[in-house]
Amino acid sequence: MLKLMQNEWMKLWHKKGTWIMVGILVILTAGMMGLMKWISLQNMGGEMTREGMIQDPSSLGGTVLLLTVIVAAGIVASEFSQGTIKMLLTRPVKRWKILVSKFLTVNLFGMFLMLIGYVVYLLLAMLLFKSDAGESLSSWSVWSKSLYMLLLSFGNVFITSTFAFAIGSVFRSSSLAIGLSLFIYFTGSTISALLSQYEIAKYLFFTHMDLTQFETGMMLVPDLTMPFSLAVLAVYIVVFLLISFSTFIKRDVTA
Amino acid sequence: MKPVVELKNLSKTIRSKKIIDNLNLSLYPGQITGFLGPNGAGKTTTIRMMVGLMKQTEGDIVIEGVSLRDNFEEGLSKVGVIVENPEMYKFMSGYKNLLHFARMHKGVTKERIDDVVRQVGMQNRIHEKVGTYSLGMRQRLGLAQALLHRPKFLILDEPTNGLDPAGIREFRQYLRKIAETEGVSVFVSSHMLSEIELMCDRIAIIQNGKLIDIREMSEARESFYYIEATPAEKAKQLLTDGGFTVEPFTDGLLVNAEQHQIPDLVESFIAEGLQVFAVQPHRKTLEDEFLEMTGGGQIAEAYAK
Repeated sequence: MLKLMQNEWMKLWHKKGTWIMVGILVILTAGMMGLMKWISLQNMGGEMTREGMIQDPSSLGGTVLLLTVIVAAGIVASEFSQGTIKMLLTRPVKRWKILVSKFLTVNLFGMFLMLIGYVVYLLLAMLLFKSDAGESLSSWSVWSKSLYMLLLSFGNVFITSTFAFAIGSVFRSSSLAIGLSLFIYFTGSTISALLSQYEIAKYLFFTHMDLTQFETGMMLVPDLTMPFSLAVLAVYIVVFLLISFSTFIKRDVTA
Repeated sequence: MKPVVELKNLSKTIRSKKIIDNLNLSLYPGQITGFLGPNGAGKTTTIRMMVGLMKQTEGDIVIEGVSLRDNFEEGLSKVGVIVENPEMYKFMSGYKNLLHFARMHKGVTKERIDDVVRQVGMQNRIHEKVGTYSLGMRQRLGLAQALLHRPKFLILDEPTNGLDPAGIREFRQYLRKIAETEGVSVFVSSHMLSEIELMCDRIAIIQNGKLIDIREMSEARESFYYIEATPAEKAKQLLTDGGFTVEPFTDGLLVNAEQHQIPDLVESFIAEGLQVFAVQPHRKTLEDEFLEMTGGGQIAEAYAK
């Protein structure tokens, strides 16, 4: 399995697009920080402190999600469109193993982007923002909060990329997978808000995608709890993966 | 001799249409077997089932005693595959591509990769991106990836597509070499009948999903002569009286005569006052036989309907 992941990782980084994605991530993160600084200078959003910024890096999530979804959507679909799927599946390796290696690689890539984004974010937070006398950077609470928020925002990356991965492997079309995933990412919260008075809203997966809502308190649907959200998400993830694996394993490759 | 590969009652049904119907075939070590059939006969489907791209509806494929149904990984570890144009990862170098596939097999070392690269004569360009390769180079790389794990069975679908004549010849000699020296069993599907004729020891012919003939190429063929003489009617009469079977062919007649009978025949023609324009040995090509057996393929069939 490690060798298969090594393969996927190698293929990923030999594509120019992947390097461009990292570049985009760095630029967008830096731009976002610049914007925050500018807003802070205009004194519109109140004084922003270094500690305050570090405690909530969840704004990274959106950029990382966008990029990870592109990789997740293409990792299976591109093998079909390049025709390399024939070469990949005529090996003494069971298909589910290949799919698992691809899925793990996507998540590893997501984490990697998150890490890069986080490093850039921290550097700029240090450079651009003044420290607040009240809280100290050496205090554990600032960092634990920071990492917790990072983890919560990664949740959204994980869920959306799993969705994109499933669509990409079922329909073998990366554009469809990217389109659908981003559509859900952008309109999901609106749909949830519209349906919030109905029971069904509680069981839609996009109601729960943004786990940071439990920390920020900006809940889409009232009366949600974290364990409930995690349970609903787990069910959806299992369903997505089941569909993805069963179609991939059964498929007759004719192209 | 124990077969390397056995197809047992292989069947494939797609949407209640039987694409492959109860196929039985054994392939032996050191032998190159050609796989022929008109378009849509089921060649590609059969090959895709043999390499794990498609699942059979019924029957089984046994490779060196291991059933693909029961133990896919072990069975397929002895198979080298080139399916149509070998599509590689264009954004990586040839070497990285080989490395990629080597990792999917057990026990392929870096030395083995270098070995295979030398065997197919690609040392000079192996570190360049596949996107820059010509079709011939890609075919070589395709062959290299199929040989990495020292397969006992090599399966090739239209392998010479896009190769130039020199390349085809080299490819043919190479296949022959590994079949003979390493006892590899080779299975080649192709439309190019002359190719198959030159390459193979044995030919399996499939039509409408059924195996209609298997023949050894070494089998002594019937000898035919082409005779052109006027008046044709009289010539024909003479020949049938002599106990030969005669069929018209272009401007003359095709006769199943042996070499030693020819002088007598010519003499009798002259004696009867016939004008003889040509007498020459005629070798039925594989193409003629193939068309005879499959009834001229689909286009002819479509006209007949």
